[in-house]
Amino acid sequence: MGHHISRRTIFRTASGLAAAGALGSSLAACSGGTGAGSSTSKLTMTWWGSDERHAAYKKALATFAKDNPKIEVQPTYSGYDGYFDKFNTNVAGGSAPDLMQMDTALVAQYARKGVLAPLDEYVGKSLDLTGFAKTLLANGTVDGKLYGVPSGIGVNQLTVNRSGLEALGLKLPEREWTWTDLKSIAQEVYKKSGGKTYGVDDGGGGTLQCFEIFAREKGQTFFSEDGKKVGFTADTLQEWWEYWAEMRKLNASPPPAITSAAHNDLTKNAVVIGKSLFTFDSGVYGAGGSITDAQLDFLPTPQGDWSGAREGNFVNGGVLLSATKKSKRIADSVKIISFIAQNDSAIKDFQLLRGIPPTDKARNLISSGLSETDKLNMANADYISQRVAKATNALPNPVPPPQGADQVWDLLFQSNLAVAFGKKSIKAQLGAFFDQAAGILSA
Amino acid sequence: MSMTTAKTDEVVKEAPAAASLSDQRERERMRRRLARKRGGGWWPYVFLAPWFVGLAGLTIYPMLDSLYLSFTDFDLLTPPEWVGTKNYEHMFAEDPVFWDSVHATLLYVAVSVPLKLALALGVAMLLNRDLKGIGLYRAAFYLPSLLGGAVAVAIVWRQVFGGDGLFNDFLSWFGIKGQDWISSPDTAIYTLILLAVWQFGTPMVIFLAGLKQLPRDVYEAAAIDGAGPATRFFKITLPLLTPIVFFNVILQIIDAFKTFTPAFVISNGSGGPLNSTMLYSLYLYKKGFTDLEMGYASAMAWVLFLVIAGFTAVNFIASRYWVHYDD
Repeated sequence: MGHHISRRTIFRTASGLAAAGALGSSLAACSGGTGAGSSTSKLTMTWWGSDERHAAYKKALATFAKDNPKIEVQPTYSGYDGYFDKFNTNVAGGSAPDLMQMDTALVAQYARKGVLAPLDEYVGKSLDLTGFAKTLLANGTVDGKLYGVPSGIGVNQLTVNRSGLEALGLKLPEREWTWTDLKSIAQEVYKKSGGKTYGVDDGGGGTLQCFEIFAREKGQTFFSEDGKKVGFTADTLQEWWEYWAEMRKLNASPPPAITSAAHNDLTKNAVVIGKSLFTFDSGVYGAGGSITDAQLDFLPTPQGDWSGAREGNFVNGGVLLSATKKSKRIADSVKIISFIAQNDSAIKDFQLLRGIPPTDKARNLISSGLSETDKLNMANADYISQRVAKATNALPNPVPPPQGADQVWDLLFQSNLAVAFGKKSIKAQLGAFFDQAAGILSA
Repeated sequence: MSMTTAKTDEVVKEAPAAASLSDQRERERMRRRLARKRGGGWWPYVFLAPWFVGLAGLTIYPMLDSLYLSFTDFDLLTPPEWVGTKNYEHMFAEDPVFWDSVHATLLYVAVSVPLKLALALGVAMLLNRDLKGIGLYRAAFYLPSLLGGAVAVAIVWRQVFGGDGLFNDFLSWFGIKGQDWISSPDTAIYTLILLAVWQFGTPMVIFLAGLKQLPRDVYEAAAIDGAGPATRFFKITLPLLTPIVFFNVILQIIDAFKTFTPAFVISNGSGGPLNSTMLYSLYLYKKGFTDLEMGYASAMAWVLFLVIAGFTAVNFIASRYWVHYDD
């Protein structure tokens, strides 16, 4: 009996199919089979996204197939959850896709581990990057080499349920607004709705869209230059958590059970389920076919209202398209990347589904066909990128997130939750956070 | 295992040494004769070969490989690097989430196994009678076990115990205001335990088989002596059933330690809120495939293996004092 168990337990680790539970061993055998089968002549491509994005990719690939009948593409797509778990397993098993959608937050790690192919030799030849700004390409550049082509401009913002706000007789705040403004309107929402709706999602554990910008407004980065430490001070984090503790106390933000339920699950997001009117976002809710019926609008993350506050926003590169290093079809993959970046019909297929298009040409192509929500989304992104470009006091773009970054982000989320549930005091949790973050980043 | 060795020891002590030796020789002769008759030699091994290949390639090799990996730093993407016992040291000394997961798992095992077995035995006793259509009832009670491990059921569970789920609707009939059971760190693990207990079908069937074999005459004698139902249960049924209870305890403990799917699905792969549903296997998976620390995950797998082996061994030793074998 002990033997039986060990076999299962160990085999899980060895095979990468833990989720299959009792069927683990038999399924593992199968997966080995399909892995071996991928050496056919088809080019394998993976991406994550919404149903709308899947459809757009498929449409664009169909157009590509007409012009390039010799390159047959085998697409695999899913949501973000588990996408990189699966990719890791495939890479380890020698069946990595030839071409893949890559996360700007992870590109540095994979490039440095030798998983991705540098694309510099193709630029200007089969890879047409006309109209791509250097600052945008920086999002796919690691240690001086280009490992991924950005799909567009991404900004961190607040998605607002504008119709819900107007129904309560409240007005959408101005784009030049502060953390204090956010606090007061969020309180108003709770009061005017008779306690039915909270104001804004609890951002105390939010990283990319909230705390990182707050820290940058204080002139601090999330990660240090070398990526071995966090770049902000305990005082900054304490101030941040105290802000959100007060927001929860005022019912300006929902209780932790709602925050916790929405973790990793867009469909449980407080704005989506109608429990709040503002949520921190990097474009997921707004871009293309929104997830609620409400009329959405968009605002930049609030600005610091203390003296010496800096511009905290920055512009990122949406998602990337990358070729894997061991692939034998890199040249073909580059053709597809170039096609998706520059072909008129592909650009129209994607609209804003992969962020605001990076080139002026692409923006002109799609601007007439956009929905009301998409137009507002684009206007806000334009506003933010212009403000960032003009700012003289903004820090440079964040360094590529180091190894362990996602664990530190998760730690921030869990820490805020521990405070919110009353399991730990802010002081105690601060100590635990910095200890654990140091352990993760120095490993 | 230790049980059987203990028994042979006794046999050897009782029987004269010479007799047992000649016995052995006799048996050996018989075996050879049989082997010759059946063609013997290598043929059995040829037919067993597929199984041996599977054992070596799918069990022994991955096990040994993971033992090796547990002493390395291995990120799945670049070759493993030998680090000695660093993974094990980190696990016990520096990783608070590891201890969260140990805590969650022990709580899960300690609460779910006894409840599940008690329910299984109770229902088995109810179903151990001659009623019209009893087969249907048995099938109905077994059904959850067929479904329970499925991802779909875990998804339903998340819905039922969510903030606006069925369970809170049910509570509201009695004027009780529920909460989001899945998203509260104090209650989330109990929804997993409830899901485990609900799948009491397998031990129930095993109990039922055991109950059917209990001798009737003992009960008749007890009834004549005036023993009530409670006395009969505690003095006859339970003692006679102890081997079956023992078997179920071992099986369920092992199963509970390995639980992965419901925790993964219900917590959306996060083990949250606040690691309260971070069962050991889930953390192992997260370390290996999400955080790319496969060496660490391998070390965790071996620790789990040793813990399960330890629990099983302790159970076998303890069983000497409470399991009653008929023969």
